[in-house]
Amino acid sequence: MGKVLGQPVVRNDALDKVTGRLKYPGDLNMPGQLYAKMLWSKRPHARFQMDTSEAEAVSGVMAVLTAKDVPRNEFGLIFPDQPVFNFDVVRSVGDPIAMVVAETEKIAALARDLIRVDYEDLPVVTDPREAMKPGAPVIHEKKPSNILKSYRIRKGDVQKGFAEADAIVEDDYFMPLTEHAFLQPEAGIGYIDDEGRVTVHSAGQWAHDDRRQIAHALDLPEDQVRVIYTPAGGAFGGREDLSVQLVLALAAWKLKRPLKIVWSREESIRGHHKRHAFYIHHKVGATKDGKITAMEVEIVADCGAYASSSTPVLANAVLLSTGPYRVPNVNVDGCVVYTNNLRTGAMRGFGAPQAVFAVELQLSKLAEKLGIDPATLRLKNVLVEGSKLATNTVVPAGVGIRQTLLEVTETSGWSDQGPQRPPAHAPHARTGVGLACGWKNVGYSFGFPEQASCTAELYGEQHIERAVIKIGAAEVGQGLNTILAQIAAETLHIPYEAVEIAELDTSVVPDAGSSSASRHAFMSGNAVKGACERALEAWQRGERPAMMTYQYLPPKTTPFDPQTGECYPNFSYGYASQIAEVEVDLETGDVALTRVFAAHDAGKTINPQTLEGQVDGGVVMAQGWALIEDFIQQDGYIKTRRLSEYLIPTSMDAPRDIVSCLVEVADPLGPYGARGVGEMTMMLLAPAILDAIHDATGIWFNRIPVKAEDVLLALKRTGSQR
Amino acid sequence: MLARPGLPSFDYIRASTAQEVVRLLKEHGEGARLMMGGTDLLVRMRQGDVRPKIVVDVKHLPGMSEILYEEGAGLTIGAAATMNQVAKHPAVRAHYPLLAEAANSVASYQVRNRATVGGNLCNASPCADTTPAILALEGRLVLYGPNGERELPAKEFFLGPGQTALQPGEFLTAMRFPQLPSGSAGKYLKLGRSKAGDLSLVGVAIFGFPDETTSSGYRFRIVLGSVAPVVLRALEAEQVLASQPPGDETFALAAQRAMEAATPIDDVRGSAVYQKAMVRTLTLRGLRDVWEQLAGRKE
Ligand SMILES: Cc1cc2nc3c(=O)[nH]c(=O)nc-3n(C[C@H](O)[C@H](O)[C@H](O)COP(=O)(O)OP(=O)(O)OC[C@H]3O[C@@H](n4cnc5c(N)ncnc54)[C@H](O)[C@@H]3O)c2cc1C
Repeated sequence: MGKVLGQPVVRNDALDKVTGRLKYPGDLNMPGQLYAKMLWSKRPHARFQMDTSEAEAVSGVMAVLTAKDVPRNEFGLIFPDQPVFNFDVVRSVGDPIAMVVAETEKIAALARDLIRVDYEDLPVVTDPREAMKPGAPVIHEKKPSNILKSYRIRKGDVQKGFAEADAIVEDDYFMPLTEHAFLQPEAGIGYIDDEGRVTVHSAGQWAHDDRRQIAHALDLPEDQVRVIYTPAGGAFGGREDLSVQLVLALAAWKLKRPLKIVWSREESIRGHHKRHAFYIHHKVGATKDGKITAMEVEIVADCGAYASSSTPVLANAVLLSTGPYRVPNVNVDGCVVYTNNLRTGAMRGFGAPQAVFAVELQLSKLAEKLGIDPATLRLKNVLVEGSKLATNTVVPAGVGIRQTLLEVTETSGWSDQGPQRPPAHAPHARTGVGLACGWKNVGYSFGFPEQASCTAELYGEQHIERAVIKIGAAEVGQGLNTILAQIAAETLHIPYEAVEIAELDTSVVPDAGSSSASRHAFMSGNAVKGACERALEAWQRGERPAMMTYQYLPPKTTPFDPQTGECYPNFSYGYASQIAEVEVDLETGDVALTRVFAAHDAGKTINPQTLEGQVDGGVVMAQGWALIEDFIQQDGYIKTRRLSEYLIPTSMDAPRDIVSCLVEVADPLGPYGARGVGEMTMMLLAPAILDAIHDATGIWFNRIPVKAEDVLLALKRTGSQR
Repeated sequence: MLARPGLPSFDYIRASTAQEVVRLLKEHGEGARLMMGGTDLLVRMRQGDVRPKIVVDVKHLPGMSEILYEEGAGLTIGAAATMNQVAKHPAVRAHYPLLAEAANSVASYQVRNRATVGGNLCNASPCADTTPAILALEGRLVLYGPNGERELPAKEFFLGPGQTALQPGEFLTAMRFPQLPSGSAGKYLKLGRSKAGDLSLVGVAIFGFPDETTSSGYRFRIVLGSVAPVVLRALEAEQVLASQPPGDETFALAAQRAMEAATPIDDVRGSAVYQKAMVRTLTLRGLRDVWEQLAGRKE
């Protein structure tokens, strides 16, 4: 009994997944269902007029839904600036303008192609640095400028800080927009349930917020809308915005018939938001003994056509751009700007990978300039218990960055003399080793309302035979249902197998917030633990079944002060240090990632297997970001429309060795000390890889992806070799 | 109807005789498409590039997947033999390792279980990974059509991207390879943006053997993939190697000539300049590798 925490128990969804019993969204069906097909904008910025009469006349077509069918034609995760269907203006090729519902998928597709659209092109702007200038084409008529949001931090006196510095490094960085490329393109069914509720059965990252947004757009009370989730194979933030949910609800509500939609991969790539492209200018100064004296950062992020989660992503990047370091003097200015590119929003890391990318390369360059070992330089500056952040508030207790750095250097054999470079496999190859550190918030930040609720139900006579955990937390492949069951079992002192996680149905389970911000282990873990503790007390009082609901509320956070950026931004952080080993082919420019050491502070490891799964996945995702993934948009048109054009790493590209070093610096607020790791695993490998490429070739790259061609060109240009 | 998003409906016919295939092709013309592994065809159908009414599966015809080797006569591979079957076949590995290497370089293990060498040829993509090896080994193609069987040197088969010398009603049944000169060696090198997900940016097949009729005492064949509308023999480079003594200087010159023969274009996968440079790099590496094998064999 008990002792399930920290054990690599078998995932509670493994059997259903490997036997095919589990229904992914595309496997869901209803008797008599109709099929839907969407029509997307063909232009990045245009006025348009549409004639749907021919499509409507096709036999078997039940409806052609457009903007005029939506009671409140707007939605959005943070605020609703995106129409469900665009009306008269399109702002990107990701904008849906109509949906045909028909008796078969074939009829729906055929009729969709009969919709006539006349476009009148408007000027297109795709570079946020251009879009923010006065006189640029305005993308949202009602907004005075394309700058969606700006944030700033002012701490100390950067002028003075740079004056005290013996070395200053200043550079420009660019990271492109990225596609999530999760398993299973968006799909689902919509219907009216037995109680007359508009019901959507699909996959996503926050069922209760889907319900809120659907109710808003359909102008219905929330209790008239029901959202059910089936697990997804992957999400990575890409399922955080509404995709098929709203249009399924709309059609079911209009037609009172069940219907199904499955997006193709091309539609998925076109239809959901992306990771933000970032331009970062970064300046850092330090004394000759390696004490950082000042940082000055300017950030411009590409929002694309709609806000999605752009504002909190920017806020995160602004906060995290000084790295997990003590910096006495800080200026940060960041803005996120509308363009006619695909909209950008949540993706694993949520602004942290971009911020970490710039600051970590800066630290590596600073180390080179000062002639100090890069690990030593970082050790001198990392946050410690009680450190004050740039926001002028103290970092929450449980600061593990130093421990991860010590652990990763020791495991990989990185000494005071620097790293141990593995031998190259060929005379035309060079190896290199690179390091990066990173930090990221756990849970929502900057005053965004944060809570997680859970109901625990205990059944049995003499002893607890079965515990049912009801919680609105989405399993998206990360193993959440497994670790929540482990926490419940541990708290209730019952076997892991006796815990059942109820289906995620908003009419049954309470809201626990989104599967994002690396928050569920911490937030929902606390909710499960609290509900189980209370249910156990009820059980011990003799209640059968014993049922208790508990809401976990973390310490309150506050937003940036508009002038100084002062605030209490977060209640918890995750920390990590990673080392990358690369082998660069000097004749082809190819960079092979050969080995990675990853030290993550998990606070308390609930399940080492799911944790290592996160580390492996995050590492490979970061490898793709750094070296392979290249999403190309030209004048607002997508050039990489499918996965044969937009490449992601496969198991053949993955490093042959990913060494996970798990660090446990308890988070005093986390359940059993746990904190989050999901996003932290991908946020710091890219700068480590670029540091390693520099170690191998002497060349610094400031933009990603670093493709073989770029490396070869740079090698030619500099003629340099280590 | 198949309810896969994007894949249009079609009739599927599993042919059991060659005559039936010819009849269906003549009857339906452009409306019929042959299928073996379907790894090219189904993708193109889903994208709407081709819209056949009937799909004729020819991989179950008698002998279509057979691999036969006879000392002296050479190797015959049924058009529908999969990449994995070819790559693993003991006789192919022993006597035509270049072909096994090329087949093994295609995509991922899973795709290689379906993808066929014949389909790779008939698709006639300049990026096809087995074509350079087949040209380097001077393979011949067996075609069956309304007038029965005919044989064509592989090099006469490719007319342009997606275009072959197949006549109406004709299809590929097998590939034949002559017995290779003794002491020969080969190498296939390719470069893509990722290890398993990408078509080749550049592919280079090198085949070499001792030949007393050349002034260098050796003959090399160099075939380039992905860098021209069709897979290309670098004849001027081969000439350099036939006339000058083998060694790094000669190899470098030959690699330079190979690069000059390539006429790639810029696309999202890589620039023309880079592809050309990589032709030189891979050719040089391939020549050194083959030379090491040849020299080793001589000793
Ligand atoms: C994920 C993925 C990765 C890939 N990677 C690679 C790679 O790395 N390298 C590479 O070279 N290719 C690659 N391909 C392309 C493809 O797998 C190969 O070209 C394969 O060899 C095609 O064989 P098949 O049997 O599947 O052909 P099919 O798709 O069955 O047929 C190909 C074409 O030939 C026609 N055809 C079929 N049989 C005959 C016949 N007997 N006579 C005449 N015409 C016929 C068909 O109508 C079609 O036009 C990849 C494809 C995918 C989907």
